[in-house]
Amino acid sequence: MTRTLTVLGIETSCDDTAAAVVRSDRTILASNVADQTALHAAFGGVVPEIAARAHTEKLDHAVEAALAASGHALKDLDAIAVTAGPGLIGGVLSGVMLAKGLSAASGVPLVGVNHLAGHALTPRLTDDLAFPYLVLLASGGHCQFLIAHGADRFERLGGTIDDAPGEAFDKTARLLGLPQPGGPSVEAEAAKGDPARFDFPRPLLNRPGCDMSFSGLKTAVLRERDKIVSDKGGLTRQDRSDLAAGFQAAVADVLAEKARRAISAYLDHAPEAPAIAVAGGVAANRTIRAALDRVAADGGLRFVAPPLQLCTDNAAMIAWAGIEALRDGYDTSEPVVARPRWPLDRSQAPMLGSGKKGAKA
Amino acid sequence: MADLRLLAFDTSGPHCAASLLINGTNVAAAREEMKQGQAERLIPMLEDVMAREGAVWEELDAIAVGIGPGNFTGIRIAVSAARGLALGLGIPAIGVSTFEAVRDDAPARLGDIVMVMLPGPRDVEYFQVFDGPDPVAAPGMLDTRGSGYSFGTARALPDALGHRKITGVTGLKAYPVAVDLGGDIPGSISQPESDRLEKIVVNPATLARIAARRLTAGAPIPRPAPLYVRPADAAPSSDPPPVILP
Repeated sequence: MTRTLTVLGIETSCDDTAAAVVRSDRTILASNVADQTALHAAFGGVVPEIAARAHTEKLDHAVEAALAASGHALKDLDAIAVTAGPGLIGGVLSGVMLAKGLSAASGVPLVGVNHLAGHALTPRLTDDLAFPYLVLLASGGHCQFLIAHGADRFERLGGTIDDAPGEAFDKTARLLGLPQPGGPSVEAEAAKGDPARFDFPRPLLNRPGCDMSFSGLKTAVLRERDKIVSDKGGLTRQDRSDLAAGFQAAVADVLAEKARRAISAYLDHAPEAPAIAVAGGVAANRTIRAALDRVAADGGLRFVAPPLQLCTDNAAMIAWAGIEALRDGYDTSEPVVARPRWPLDRSQAPMLGSGKKGAKA
Repeated sequence: MADLRLLAFDTSGPHCAASLLINGTNVAAAREEMKQGQAERLIPMLEDVMAREGAVWEELDAIAVGIGPGNFTGIRIAVSAARGLALGLGIPAIGVSTFEAVRDDAPARLGDIVMVMLPGPRDVEYFQVFDGPDPVAAPGMLDTRGSGYSFGTARALPDALGHRKITGVTGLKAYPVAVDLGGDIPGSISQPESDRLEKIVVNPATLARIAARRLTAGAPIPRPAPLYVRPADAAPSSDPPPVILP
């Protein structure tokens, strides 16, 4: 019987300023997320400098609110877990420095957490999933299939070679004049459209393996949109809905087919209770979720989709990843270093941002 | 300020600097020049400075932190750490700008109305005018490229100054600007050590002294925020949305 741990989580790697308090019995005592959508709306995407500025002035308030809601004083906690990467370095640094200040002041030890591990371990927080399980992490910044063998042991089966699907949803929303964030607005528009009217490409389906590409898909949407605009001088509402539906169907098809291949690679490990989990904001899309659910059922896998607020960026997952790291014997005397690039599976060749700085994810 | 204990630090330039002020005296200080690595060095340096005097975190009355202007990442490193320490210790963190520090260290012969000018990146100069210890207006920036000045926010200065004349300047480029703005300057110019902002030595002991005064004054103390002066570089999305037909 292990001791119950109570951990503060801090997350600032993109455009959400988040703090949470989580207990090792999987209870979320408080989870606080302040998003910056309005700050970035005029720029058509997250502006790193604007995000970093906002984190610096919001994060201590978020931590205070989370502690108050949890009913715990900082000194009573067992650890402070902070996202140390990968992500936008300005925001990551703000979070890491605030956490270092809190830790020095209170004597509570500090745990540096990989943001992707936070997402990938969420199914254990929500559903107590046993290792090894398959996880599809699909968000605005990331897309990869991972086998989670342990809290610090991930095997990447494949991932996107260019854009993340969340990014493709945002760009498609912009092309169609729909509001940001693109995920929910494209999904709502697609519900009114005919997914079969446009024959959008399914990139890399003709190649073996689990790698994906979403950049060409967005270009295909642009080309079809421009064709209609030059014919009619604009888009009708039906055109817009059909374009959205066609795009969404293509993303769902790619993710479902690549999931099928990932499942077969995962089943080679002969897991006792096979399961596939989704994480990241893209998992909120009902069409994509349904497609993955079908593939999981075909493969005889349990399908786990955490609630939306634990799929998108949050600090409860960071606190939880900190708890898992501590249980695995994490050495809190090691200094925590903020890093923009930090792949989960260190054994694999880098997929994105190779070059001299090394792999992003 | 009876037995006030303040810990001050600054990472606004290519340095990491800290100072412990007890009862108005700078009892311990450290300074290391570094282009990067402040995020890793800062907290251990603070612990060293405290340990040298046998000081403990719980005995501090306040944190003083340099808020810039300066390197954006650098001022965020210090401000975030200060906010974390303040929250963890339940004491105030007090933000002090480089303008205030330079003003405080300026010689008395400069008079009361002093323009502090700090070199920014490329040809940008940051400035702020003080009447005694208090700013006359918010900090501004001007572009000194080419022969003339693009005054930018400095245009509003004469209004803010009213009948007051600038009596002294600090910073290489401040003199002609102050004259252009109608200053009456009796040759009292204090030159900083260099015309580059990153070479201006922010002394954390000065930050601590200013913060101690503010603490004793008893007015509410806002949480420290970086002083960027320059807005974030970001262009609104240029791609127009499609026309939606009725």
